[in-house]
Amino acid sequence: MTQHLDIANPARTSPLLQVADLAVSFDNGAGPRVQAVAGVSMTVHPNQTLAVVGESGCGKSVTAMSTMQLIPRPPGRFDRGTILFDDGGSTKDILSLSEREMLRIRGGKIAMIFQEPMTSLNPVYTIGDQLIEAILLHQHVAPDQAWQLAIQAMKDVGIPKAEERMRAYPHQFSGGMRQRVMIAMALACQPKLLLADEPTTALDVTIQAQILELLRELQRSRGMGIMLITHNLGVVAENADVVCVMYAGRVVEYARVFELFDNPLHPYTRGLFNSIPLLTQRKHRLTTVEEVVHDPAQFKLPGLAGDLVPWWPDAPAGVKPAIAADRDEYALVQVAPTRWVGCFNTKWVEDHPSPRPDLDYRRDDM
Amino acid sequence: MVNYLLRRLLFMVPTILGITFMVFMLLALAPGGIGAGLAVQGGQMSDTSKVAQMQAYLEDRYGLNDPVVVQYFRWLGRISPVKFGERDLRTPTNERVSAPRAINAPEMAWLFPAPAAVQVTFTPTVGEGQREEQVVEFKKLQREAEGARRAYIGSVRMFKDTLADYVRAMGKPWTERLEPKGGADPEKFRDIALDAANPKCEALKKAAADMHAKWSLAEEARQRAYIGFKAGPYPPSGYAVIPGAMYLDSPDLGVAFSKNRPVWDLIAAALPVTLLLNLIAFPISYLIAVPTGILASVRRGGGFDVFTGFLYLSLYSIPTVLAGVFAIGFLANKQYLGLFPVSGMHDSAAVGYTFLSYTDSAGVWHCGWLLDTLWHVALPVMCLVYGSFAVLSKQTRAAMLENFNADYVRTAKAKGVPRNDVVMRHVFRNSLLPLITMFVGIFPAMLAGSVVIERIFSVPGMGSLVIEAIDLRDREIILANTFMIACVNLLALLLADILYAAADPRVSYE
Repeated sequence: MTQHLDIANPARTSPLLQVADLAVSFDNGAGPRVQAVAGVSMTVHPNQTLAVVGESGCGKSVTAMSTMQLIPRPPGRFDRGTILFDDGGSTKDILSLSEREMLRIRGGKIAMIFQEPMTSLNPVYTIGDQLIEAILLHQHVAPDQAWQLAIQAMKDVGIPKAEERMRAYPHQFSGGMRQRVMIAMALACQPKLLLADEPTTALDVTIQAQILELLRELQRSRGMGIMLITHNLGVVAENADVVCVMYAGRVVEYARVFELFDNPLHPYTRGLFNSIPLLTQRKHRLTTVEEVVHDPAQFKLPGLAGDLVPWWPDAPAGVKPAIAADRDEYALVQVAPTRWVGCFNTKWVEDHPSPRPDLDYRRDDM
Repeated sequence: MVNYLLRRLLFMVPTILGITFMVFMLLALAPGGIGAGLAVQGGQMSDTSKVAQMQAYLEDRYGLNDPVVVQYFRWLGRISPVKFGERDLRTPTNERVSAPRAINAPEMAWLFPAPAAVQVTFTPTVGEGQREEQVVEFKKLQREAEGARRAYIGSVRMFKDTLADYVRAMGKPWTERLEPKGGADPEKFRDIALDAANPKCEALKKAAADMHAKWSLAEEARQRAYIGFKAGPYPPSGYAVIPGAMYLDSPDLGVAFSKNRPVWDLIAAALPVTLLLNLIAFPISYLIAVPTGILASVRRGGGFDVFTGFLYLSLYSIPTVLAGVFAIGFLANKQYLGLFPVSGMHDSAAVGYTFLSYTDSAGVWHCGWLLDTLWHVALPVMCLVYGSFAVLSKQTRAAMLENFNADYVRTAKAKGVPRNDVVMRHVFRNSLLPLITMFVGIFPAMLAGSVVIERIFSVPGMGSLVIEAIDLRDREIILANTFMIACVNLLALLLADILYAAADPRVSYE
């Protein structure tokens, strides 16, 4: 309830989730470890949707899975960083919690929905069984009460004839219905944070819209924070409050959704926007991200203090500034009060440390 | 579901027909043919014509002189629960008595006119209080009929041999029509004439007269036996559907040539032994292999996984022959450890044992039948079990690993399901299908027995019975065994399909 009051009053809420300088690597068998996430920072506030965008393999899902300690270790390993989670007043570092404590967090405090609704439900148990399993794990209720709660959860996500459907098996549901069941299951225990890992990728467009609308409604009624992982910029524009653009395991741009769309600063973000076809524009061929990030002109951040150069692993010749040899060449720099851009870690950047990205902003605030 | 089951059961009939037909034909094509065992038995006699007569008699008795397909259909008629024709009788000792079979008319009726038809009038002993006399009389009639028939078959054989001699005396081109082995088929000599000049003419006439006389006697004896049969010395067998034409009865597995005993008796003696071994061996292998397979999959690549994988594969690689011989040589041999009996299923005095062990008033311990049996089967069971771990546990492990990375397992983890519940409730539950497939395989295996182990430990089980039957080409035992295992196998596959539907709601037979 307090969260609702916070919405009415635009004063800051305390962050729900703070990921700080997280680095995760995986054992590759032979050869060097694969650095899936290399220093990611982000913040999620209650009732806020943080969209994490980026191409496949950029570390979005690994970040989300780390938030629930679902990274299989080995081969995975947390190299550094913290994931602070506000568990009802006391802030805990997820990465330092034991498996026992994590069982309480998973599903109870932080829930997750996945991109494959067709295979994410256990085919041999009824929908009811799977919902009740989740409820009984986190709430001390009698089985018949759990049954009622499960029906309520199904009704909350708009599944008609919920009582009948409790006895049905996943294969008797359509894709959209299964994703609703997944959401019902994730939300049955009233989690404070929902990690939605490409929840609509496998669904057709009308169902996508329904599912996202449903998530938004549930978020408003419960004041839940959502980390929405996607590579659909349309979904971002429609749903996100804050956007975190990732590339190669790092955050390259972090901003309020409208500011980002109005004025993308990082060449990669620009490249992403340029590659979207427009209905009003006739084009022979689409501009690729590659073309943008190979253009030195794109690496100018005009009107900013210092000579900040956006970070890029293979930046065009003459763009990369001098960097101390023993330094990590990447740093996330606050370039404006509400904007962060991944930049080359020059002397100036080192001398002017930036705060971690944290935007207590919702699109409905204005 | 019921429809599906009925359909499956119905489809089993042609499948079983196909299986038995194939086996029957294979036996018929085997060197020596179906009757090879009989020829071996006849070989003990010195007089070659006696051997030939004996063989002719046995071929007639077991119907081996008919075409193979006819023999197969006769066998089907016996095995079929729906039977046609005259109902069999059943003795108090549960043996079947069929009506006496018809006798073929004498050969070469165009040259030696057949004797007059025989019509016997005979009043058998019947009535209240005379049951015993009636049975005695019927048995005598049966014996007489069998004896007369045997004499007649022998005389037919003699006649054919004489005919061959006669043809040989005629010289070419007649001799070209003789069989490769020198016998004569009367049907091929329809145009032959009696030539008094032929030195064998008198012998042929005598042989024909002898054949005719023996036929008359055999036919008379048969008719008397038939009248005795109709009088019903025993109650009829089965249930009549159309009286005199069709009835239902249990399948008749026939009589083993090689042992002259009903096949069913032989199986009833051998099957419990095999079942006992397997009923101990299979649970042991499953109870050890499946849990270790699960554990190995949970700690994939860990010490336990590597250790059990190595151990099971090593065991799997030891030939049973070697293991059995070593087990006897070291564990059972009195010169070494002498811990176990060398062979057999029971102690020689086991008949008098109580079932459980006890200590009598004098403080002497008696081991009892149960412990004695377990002590005797320990080594054979060990040899049956040790090699089975590898396949079973690797299958379990593979099935589990396939599901560990499934999306719903990730979902379960994200719900906060504890690790052990994830493994058992989610992963193992979904790995059941391949395990079911393996599991139903044990039903036919239960009946089949292991030839090697039974031989090494002198266990009189199904394996020994069948391998002996194959040596002697004892068609009845082999066919009965094939039929039994085919039926059990098909039922086991049906059971598997039912279990699939129970294990996985996506499987439906509607």
